[in-house]
Amino acid sequence: MTIAPDRVDQPDVDEDHETARSWQVVVWNDPVNLMSYVVWVLRKLFGHSKEKATRLMLQVHHEGRAIVSSGPLEKAELDCHRLHHHGLWATLEQT
Amino acid sequence: MSGPFAVSGDQITLAVGDDERNVLRNVPALLEIGGDAEGRLAFTPHPNDEDAAAKYRDLIGDDLAQMRRVDRAAFERVLDGESGPPETIEAFMRVIGEARIVLAGRLGIEDDGWESEMDMRSDPELALLGWLGYLQDAAVETLSELL
Repeated sequence: MTIAPDRVDQPDVDEDHETARSWQVVVWNDPVNLMSYVVWVLRKLFGHSKEKATRLMLQVHHEGRAIVSSGPLEKAELDCHRLHHHGLWATLEQT
Repeated sequence: MSGPFAVSGDQITLAVGDDERNVLRNVPALLEIGGDAEGRLAFTPHPNDEDAAAKYRDLIGDDLAQMRRVDRAAFERVLDGESGPPETIEAFMRVIGEARIVLAGRLGIEDDGWESEMDMRSDPELALLGWLGYLQDAAVETLSELL
């Protein structure tokens, strides 16, 4: 055992450490992908209900973008990669 | 179901005639020749952060291109008349989607509403874009029933 130090300094925190931040996956509107296809992709990749996937698709269509998932960088990049594989225009944003 | 896909158990077959099948055989060449029209398939999750984009490229490498090659191989098998599980038709559907994105790039389509503003019979590529949309929508309907 050891004795406790008199003073505890704040540990150094790397504010830029990627994994400490949360990221949002944004899907953007495009003029080509079918509405029905976008709904299917959101259901398939994220397990959304048909109603939620449709709501997100309509948000993309009417507002130009929607946040479809979020999490640590590694997960968000994987989600983004899967969306790209399905031909959807997706980017990441820090929360 | 009398659409372009026939379902038997968990196996799905493309059910179109020879003429349609021959049109679809041109799709892989279209993707090769048309390339990545206007970079529309060159996605990046970090469009405004070159450092993050470079790290992502190092992480992902050739993975997306490899996945697209696997999809195109499945596309060819479906065209050859093979039945396959939903995953095979999903790959087929992704290739159709890529072709539509490339075609739209070649046609200069940038905004919603182009379907009502353009005469689909005025250009063979525009007609193909529309027909591939019909086929993709039918694939979505077929696969949605199996989700």
